[in-house]
Amino acid sequence: MQQFSANIFSNSKISNCFYEMVFSWKPNTIPLPGQFVTIRAEPNTSPLLRRPFALSGFYESKKRCSIIYQKRGPVTTLLAGKSPDEQIDIIGPLGNPFPIPGKKNKAILIAGGTGIGPVVFLCSRLKNLNLEYISIFGAKTKSSIPDNQFIKQNFVICTDDGSAGYKGTTTDYLKSISNLMTSDTILFACGPQPMLKSCNDFACSHKLPCYVSVEQIMACGVGACMGCAIKITKEPGFARACKEGPVFKSTEIDWN
Amino acid sequence: MNLTVNIGNGIFHNPVCVASGTFGYGSEYESLIDLNKLGAIFTKAVTLEPRTGNEIPRIIETPSGILNSIGLANVGVKRFVQEKISFLEKLPCATVVNVAGSTENEYIEVIKNLENCKSIWGYEINVSCPNVKHGGLAFGTNPFQIENLTKLLRQATPKPLIIKLTPNVTDITTIAKAAQDGGADAVSCINTLIGMVIDTQKKVTVLPMKTGGLSGPAIRPVGVALTYKVSRAVSIPVIGIGGIMDADDAIQYLLAGASAIQVGTGNFVDPSMAVNVLEGIKKYSERENINSINEFHSFIQ
Repeated sequence: MQQFSANIFSNSKISNCFYEMVFSWKPNTIPLPGQFVTIRAEPNTSPLLRRPFALSGFYESKKRCSIIYQKRGPVTTLLAGKSPDEQIDIIGPLGNPFPIPGKKNKAILIAGGTGIGPVVFLCSRLKNLNLEYISIFGAKTKSSIPDNQFIKQNFVICTDDGSAGYKGTTTDYLKSISNLMTSDTILFACGPQPMLKSCNDFACSHKLPCYVSVEQIMACGVGACMGCAIKITKEPGFARACKEGPVFKSTEIDWN
Repeated sequence: MNLTVNIGNGIFHNPVCVASGTFGYGSEYESLIDLNKLGAIFTKAVTLEPRTGNEIPRIIETPSGILNSIGLANVGVKRFVQEKISFLEKLPCATVVNVAGSTENEYIEVIKNLENCKSIWGYEINVSCPNVKHGGLAFGTNPFQIENLTKLLRQATPKPLIIKLTPNVTDITTIAKAAQDGGADAVSCINTLIGMVIDTQKKVTVLPMKTGGLSGPAIRPVGVALTYKVSRAVSIPVIGIGGIMDADDAIQYLLAGASAIQVGTGNFVDPSMAVNVLEGIKKYSERENINSINEFHSFIQ
């Protein structure tokens, strides 16, 4: 991990709720799908803390990274107001990535809401490696779907109101393709907690491995403060989302 | 400029330290800053037995601050000695172990377990954690218990002993004096202020423990005022803590009477903050022709 001042290349609104920011990547470490960065948007005391953002892509030839974020609080409002060539303070890459499946595996990628970022990153990695996958993205309605060619071409879209793609949740869609599950299927998911729990339930009932990327309020992001603890099933009962996570095997998480 | 700070029989090479609970056991920040530049690392609190910490969520941001309820989550003194010391002993800066407990005996036992580690510079006694049910604040708010505990710990170690004061009392100076009378070499001033945030939609407190400890720039004027008061009530050094975000903030503490300072919440915001604070203090001292830390204390009566 490294702290660096990144140059913003683009920052655009890609749906009624999502923004995509592309910025320069200075560390020599290549970031992997599932890993995140923390961003300090402005040197203010309010908002104070850095915020974690999962990476949505890495463009090696240009040494650029991207995030997909939702404008919903003071920090993301500041971020949304940034223009190309402005600088932001970044620390990364942080946390553990998704494991990459083997040649014989079939990956099912499930993204809900802002969870789209790391799943897009994972999907592009699997595509580059010529691995087999099905990617699913769930949104509330058609206007929430990012105007992004990669997502449109590679993801099955589900909307709660049926205004685009499959009508229903990602879990509903997952259940509808139950017949495609084999013993080589692996699930990867990022999204709201209820969606992750449903993915775990589905994976357990079909005896499939499932990896989820969790979200938790963080202070340090580097494993020092113990603030981003999440409940796990094994001792000592808690794990740090920033250090042991944010990607966990879904059965390791205490979903109650 | 002579930056050294004398505390008991120990020396910090410079007055800029990092606060307990905000810097883990040091190694977490190794790749982000030059740890050699710090005056001291105050470790995450160490207790006799491992503690898993409080229910989640544990942190909520507040205006210019954060409210935390971590609950002293730590690996326990045995694993601390086995796993954490070897990294800290390679560093030239002082390692001050923050010690917490539920009973007097627990504090003594933690120190006994650490006394053989030559690389430990000294101890900061956490009698001011607002986030645990037993111990912590119970000791920190009672001058008789503070004096008694300090005396017992004084017998357990010849190393520098620093008592970390809570601001959650009527008169902090009586607690500081009790620490001094018990044989403390310095006091840290201040730990977090008790705070509460309520979710008005759900009509519940955001933190499951209901209250938490408030830190960050929001509390800085409180820390500076209490450092001013305490430094006039005791003759032992005062280590100023609370909301330091840059050199100017740190200089306020030094002018108020602190002999050293700790950057706490600021480490979360910008890991290079402590190093930048040190550079800023050096520049200010040069410009203002200040040659030692004690000279800072002569300006404000």
